[in-house]
Amino acid sequence: MDLTVRIGDVTVSNPVGVASGTFGYGSEYEQLIDLKSIGALFTKAVTWEPRPGNRIPRIIETTSGLLNSIGLANVGREGFAKEKYPFLSGLSCSTFVNVAGNTEDDYARTVEWLDEHAPLTGYELNVSCPNVKEGGLSIGGSPRMVEVVTRRVRAVTDKPVIVKLTPNVTDITEIARAAEAAGADALSAMNTLVGMVIDVDACRSVLPGKTGGLSGPAVLPVGVAIVYRVSRAVSIPVIGIGGIDGPDSALQYLLAGASALQIGTANFVDPTVTDRVLEGIRSFLSHHNLTAAGEIAGLLDR
Amino acid sequence: MEHFSTHVVHNAPICERYHVMKLGWPPRFAPPLPGQFLTIQPPPGTGALLRRPFAVSDYDPLLSQIEIVYERRGSVTRHLAACRTGERLDILAPLGRPFPEPTGNARPVLLAGGIGMGPMFFLATSLLTRNKNPVLILGARDSTLIPELPLFERIDIIIATDDGSRGLHGTSIDALHSFETDGNDMNTEYFACGPMPMLRALALHADQTARKCWVSIEQTMGCAVGACMGCVIPVHGGNGYARVCTEGPIFDSREIAWT
Repeated sequence: MDLTVRIGDVTVSNPVGVASGTFGYGSEYEQLIDLKSIGALFTKAVTWEPRPGNRIPRIIETTSGLLNSIGLANVGREGFAKEKYPFLSGLSCSTFVNVAGNTEDDYARTVEWLDEHAPLTGYELNVSCPNVKEGGLSIGGSPRMVEVVTRRVRAVTDKPVIVKLTPNVTDITEIARAAEAAGADALSAMNTLVGMVIDVDACRSVLPGKTGGLSGPAVLPVGVAIVYRVSRAVSIPVIGIGGIDGPDSALQYLLAGASALQIGTANFVDPTVTDRVLEGIRSFLSHHNLTAAGEIAGLLDR
Repeated sequence: MEHFSTHVVHNAPICERYHVMKLGWPPRFAPPLPGQFLTIQPPPGTGALLRRPFAVSDYDPLLSQIEIVYERRGSVTRHLAACRTGERLDILAPLGRPFPEPTGNARPVLLAGGIGMGPMFFLATSLLTRNKNPVLILGARDSTLIPELPLFERIDIIIATDDGSRGLHGTSIDALHSFETDGNDMNTEYFACGPMPMLRALALHADQTARKCWVSIEQTMGCAVGACMGCVIPVHGGNGYARVCTEGPIFDSREIAWT
């Protein structure tokens, strides 16, 4: 049974990854799961300079969902290299650093610096965070900006470059094609959906920044549809993200055309979800007499 | 930190709205400490997503049990209140930093506000066992929210209610002032859990009287293991925020940037 996934020149051991922002820098979950069983770990976002993050409250539960406005709180590139890199570099799973920035310069200079001081498997460009005023969503919403940022990062590293797409756009396939044209090795789809919760008694928005990013089971059908469309618009691998909480939701993404997956919010609920998903994929392959995870997409609507 | 399924050993109301639940604690695990907490995965059917945090309110190494005191408030705690002996729950524990030892020979003064009583019971029991002579000040809205517990027979306890229906008429902070003006204004150290206005008032009082003060902070949690940065509170120093789940929930009151 072949569970491996190719991302650029790299072979990832299995399709089950953990999503940026939900798994810290790995060490937080070391006591709870066998990190060797994960295909790929996507780190909490790293920015050029440290960021304190947004005002509180930062998270609120919604119906089957989680609305967050963390604001890319992180220790910056130097803190990452000093405090987080030693642990990550010792892991046997693939490790992708999620890189975020305010300007197109930020992404390329951060990747270039990390390539020299803290090289891991590759990078995931967070051009789609809904919770920062500059960069993030404003870059991720523009095909031209995504192309520029991706091309500049492509020029400074030989490692795999994955672009994480936002669903908060008119036509996500246009952004996907721009990233592919600029040399991205894969696409992650999707980041959180912009959402808002209002406390009716207080007549106030719950999050200080008014809006946040929605994740969790509530967004699953949106993510599956996006992966279905994006995987048909590009020829590079698409990594499905959004609401995966077990084998069924994971297999929906693989059937829709995802080559790999990232599990996010569900890690908070059940730290063993990655194991359950991987086992579910194995059972599905056996049941359908398939030999490779990559064959699952071919079963859809035959 | 352990992630495991365990069974309910005992589950019963202790007063209006508050319940106590005892859960099996595998003897091979390190014992939980006063101030630490656990999270429970919402059982199916509650419609809830995120694990819910509860402070540990007791630990019995002989019976291999831990205990929580919880308030029946939302869908998860309503479900918990209906749990029968033998039902299983998915637990992550022990989490967070515990209360520190009282400094030198300072007398520990424990303040509990409302459902914040849980962790203070654990600390009180632990201090009693080690002959640290704690005082427990328990504040509640009214007498229906004050349980009767065996612990109260063994400890110096002052009860205060907002409406005066039981004990002193006032808040736990009022009770502290009256305790101190009664000639107990000596070498003491504060340990507290309760609503933010209470903790803020206590922190201010501790500053004015130059006493050490440790507070247990509550915040909505995502992962509870330090990964998501969701449960922070503003602090002095560092990058301005600390994670309640891992850098807390117990903080020196002077670390917190009270707002």
